[in-house]
Amino acid sequence: MATERYHRGVVYLLVVLLALPVLGTLIYSLSERWDATVLPHGLTLHWYTTLWLDDRFLMAFWHSLVVCLGTLLLSTILIVPAVFAIHYYFPRLDRWMNILILLPFAVPPVVSSVGLLSLYADGPISLVGTPWILLGCYFTIALPFMYRMLSDSLRVINVRELVDAAHLLGASTPRAFWAVILPGLRKGLLASLFISFSFLFGEFVFANMLVGTRYETLQVYLYNMRNASGHFTSALVMSYFIFTFALTWMAMRISRQERT
Amino acid sequence: MSFVEVSGFAKSYGGNTVFEDINFVLARGEFVTLLGPSGCGKSTLLRCLAGLVSLDAGQFRVEGEDITYAVPQKRGIGMVFQSYALFPNMTVSQNIAFGLKMQKLAAKVVASKVAEAIELVELGGKERAYPAALSGGQRQRVALARSLVVEPRILLLDEPLSALDARIRRSLRQQILDIQRRLDLTTIFVTHDQEEALTLSDRIFVMDRGRIVQQGSAETVYTRPANEAVARFMGNYNLLGPQESRLLLGLDIDGHLAIRPEVIRLFAADDVTPGLIPATVMHSQLLGNVVRYQVEAKGVALQIDCLNRRAADLLSDGNRVMLHIAPEDLQEIAP
Repeated sequence: MATERYHRGVVYLLVVLLALPVLGTLIYSLSERWDATVLPHGLTLHWYTTLWLDDRFLMAFWHSLVVCLGTLLLSTILIVPAVFAIHYYFPRLDRWMNILILLPFAVPPVVSSVGLLSLYADGPISLVGTPWILLGCYFTIALPFMYRMLSDSLRVINVRELVDAAHLLGASTPRAFWAVILPGLRKGLLASLFISFSFLFGEFVFANMLVGTRYETLQVYLYNMRNASGHFTSALVMSYFIFTFALTWMAMRISRQERT
Repeated sequence: MSFVEVSGFAKSYGGNTVFEDINFVLARGEFVTLLGPSGCGKSTLLRCLAGLVSLDAGQFRVEGEDITYAVPQKRGIGMVFQSYALFPNMTVSQNIAFGLKMQKLAAKVVASKVAEAIELVELGGKERAYPAALSGGQRQRVALARSLVVEPRILLLDEPLSALDARIRRSLRQQILDIQRRLDLTTIFVTHDQEEALTLSDRIFVMDRGRIVQQGSAETVYTRPANEAVARFMGNYNLLGPQESRLLLGLDIDGHLAIRPEVIRLFAADDVTPGLIPATVMHSQLLGNVVRYQVEAKGVALQIDCLNRRAADLLSDGNRVMLHIAPEDLQEIAP
């Protein structure tokens, strides 16, 4: 009993410790003034309305959405058939793919940004300063999440025999994939898309170093607004937090449904 | 002309031969079992027949048509997989209708054929159930119905009963046989279970290390094993080498002598009938209707199966007995 109480106490303490900064930021973003006093003065939605009426913020938000959704579209088009092909035609490659997809994480973003800057600054393919270079970079970030989650989903459904059975019943490989395999991947795909989106939406290093203000994303905007009012940036951080929290929650719900 | 002709089938993976020199012919409506231990190549052979795995050599003809290189969709072959391979996102009806929809049949025709197939495998009331909600036996019957509804020329069954418990296995075995007879469907059944092979088959092809080592009726394969491998696989044969044959029976042979455990008769230790061999019971095992004795006679270990008639007849370890082995029950087989 005492042990259980101790464990509960530790968990509650941890929750309070993690929630405290978020709670502080939320109160700060909702207060009119909070400087030399213990408690804030007045409640207001002024900072939120200012933020959500700011064209530059809306444009940065839009840019982030375009880059993230574009990346996820590209990833879906390339990774889903690739995972299927590996599991159905070349199952031995799966082991190598699991190593390969982790390579982008072996190089710190700052280091790879320097390399990408010198490679794509000029020359035949000049991509620095455009969203295209972010699409490429973000693809490598989304790849491990998507590959692993889709690969796990395929392992559960025994791809080979399902496709073989569909073939013997007269279906072509694309038809078998579409009618039999893809429905089994739906939840794994959605969960991986939500998780990747949350991750990409908060990406800063590549966005700042490779594109900067030429195609300002939300994180770069947040960085550039660091000298603005603390209440305003708190409203910005809370908006971002609620958005990604909702996405992560949805991803968790979907993956829990998939497990059951 | 034979309905199915398989000649010179061979397959290897990276230098390892899976099977070679596979030749057989089947008559229309025949039920044939490929029987052999795990890893003997029988499932790969079945997948090659289905066109799911490519052959290295050989020719495959059905009704005179060469389908060696035909894609699985064009072979007219149905297959039930060991794992059933039911589509998890589809209901029982949708699973069964899948092949018919691929043939682009009218919705009315599909519905009527699906209803017939469901009735055939006695799955009425389960039309809207998903595979996850079905028992192993029900899944197996859905897989069977799905393969049959497209009216294949040949039905392949890859150990379809191996994941089921003994009672359901026996009942489904009979159901498969009834359906096969009713439809007069040429069927190739893969199993490692000799009881399944013996009860189902018109002919049994025994496979060992990638070759068909014997083919014949259930009776022939069981009572006249062609070689040591078949004898070991079928019926727990007593296999005596040249030295053991000389010791026990005074016979000089080059190969092996095979003696079925149920043909050795036991007599009381004081029986003086000529030709009996004295022996000692080393161990006994009650298997229900059969008692299996391990005995030692003239330094040779033998296994004997007797019907379990009365408890009073059971022998204990150390009991002395007399054995009789009729000369016609001795079979000399190649090593």
